[in-house]
Amino acid sequence: MALLITNNDKAKKFCMDCRKEVEVIYLADGTYLDVLLRTRDYVHRGYRLLTHPLCGSVKPNQTPYRSVLLEKQSAREENFRSVELIENSIDAARKFMRNRGTPRWNERTREDFKTVDLSFLTVYEQRNYV
Amino acid sequence: MKLELGRIKIHDVQFGPETKVEKGVLYVNKEEIEKLVLEDERLIGAQVELARPGESVRIAPVKDVLEPRVKVSGGGGIFPGMINKVKEVGSGRTHALVGAAVVTCGKIVGFQEGIIDMSGPAAAYTPFSGTNNVCVVIEPQEGLETHDYEAAGRMAGLKVASYVGEAGRNVEPDEVVVYETKPLQEQIAQYPDLPKVGYIHMLQSQGLLHDTYYYGVDAKQFIPTFMYPTEIMDGAIISGNCVAPCDKVTTFHHLNNPVIEDLYKRHGKDVNFIGVILTNENVFLADKERSSDMVAKLAEFMGLDGVLITEEGYGNPDTDLMMNCKKVSQKGIDVVLITDEFPGRDGKSQSLADAVNEADALVSCGQGNLIIEFPPMEKIIGTLDYVETMIGGYEGSLRPDGSIEAELQIIIASTIANGYNRLAARGY
Repeated sequence: MALLITNNDKAKKFCMDCRKEVEVIYLADGTYLDVLLRTRDYVHRGYRLLTHPLCGSVKPNQTPYRSVLLEKQSAREENFRSVELIENSIDAARKFMRNRGTPRWNERTREDFKTVDLSFLTVYEQRNYV
Repeated sequence: MKLELGRIKIHDVQFGPETKVEKGVLYVNKEEIEKLVLEDERLIGAQVELARPGESVRIAPVKDVLEPRVKVSGGGGIFPGMINKVKEVGSGRTHALVGAAVVTCGKIVGFQEGIIDMSGPAAAYTPFSGTNNVCVVIEPQEGLETHDYEAAGRMAGLKVASYVGEAGRNVEPDEVVVYETKPLQEQIAQYPDLPKVGYIHMLQSQGLLHDTYYYGVDAKQFIPTFMYPTEIMDGAIISGNCVAPCDKVTTFHHLNNPVIEDLYKRHGKDVNFIGVILTNENVFLADKERSSDMVAKLAEFMGLDGVLITEEGYGNPDTDLMMNCKKVSQKGIDVVLITDEFPGRDGKSQSLADAVNEADALVSCGQGNLIIEFPPMEKIIGTLDYVETMIGGYEGSLRPDGSIEAELQIIIASTIANGYNRLAARGY
């Protein structure tokens, strides 16, 4: 079963209504970086990444929202690539945040960022990912 | 496939009662353009303004830039699958109004696209300070969904560029450049002693405001394929991306891809340019795996000796870039990457979000984190209301006198990752 880690309520709703079964960890007050760090915890527990942790070209210090889909895999399978990707992504996110923090966006802008973040996930319903 | 590109040089743009080209001057009928844009019920405002090189003008927030072109002969029409019916393009004759551009601008979503200055120090960073621009400022209906507005803005640009391009149909071009790529076996046989070089063209295709269209199809829906380079010159690929001003590949850049242009210049001299492998940039790792497998398979199948790869965007696409690089290299093909960099303001951090050992040859198109100054301008086309929420802007960016301090990435095409700019990194 897939696992969604997100701080975006629109992504949470999409996965809960999705015709595929997805477990959701919703970090209501979490930041972009919090989502990546929680993702790393699960990668180290043997989950592999289904989506790239930095998806979108909106930089990590611009959008407050992040959603990552993962999947539990059997103990026999290695997930080095997932470990490498999440570590690189955390490094990249911290680099941008050191440069400048995420602005305090107004409500309307936050909604737009949520909509864009959600749009990265919607192909999940149409395709098989094994 | 052979295309004659008639280049009609435009050195000025003016309003006039009729949209036409005369002695290098483009005249546009303001009312006709506004009417054309407002045919779309999703838009309630359309205002046309002109901006010429050297003027004290700032355009913001910019959505897309397009070069007006018209298909004169050879089948199909410009922007197939979007404006004209889906039909193969890239053959026959096309006329381009070189030195003119259509710029769509206006508020899109809560965070915004970038800036074009027509003069001053920031003008040097964008090629569109050097073009005569027909700017279309659009305004959406209240409450329009983000997806619908993006689509309406995208279509407005394509419609206006086609309308203006039509003015070049019966004009004698200043020069005609002929581009030709033959079917694979004939192309290899034409220059048997030259290295066979291909271009792997990665299209932004992650989701809303991150999309590109191939003959009208969202690029995330296709699998990698072969293209004759001249198809791209006729608008077979158009941009729907508007989140990263500095390295977005506008529709203008698709029509005028510098990698294709330069490969053709050297075609038959020191390389045999075989063609373009078109691919996408995906969010799901399984999609990346499938696409990069297919890219490497096509490169091998075409018998290439070397490839150039360009990407669009930072972060996630860096992984596609590296997967393509690794897999193509493993087929024994030499790879050179072209990209821009985000190494932090001091330039000391990793430039890309991913890397592989095979990535040992890279051309840099500059770094987007540099801070620059924008002096006030006399005229604003669009609005400066969103400067601080633009990508590259921040709280305090816009000063009361209209001057701006922001990161270089706020300027349209300043670090564009295909080299249509003047920034570079050199090793000494």
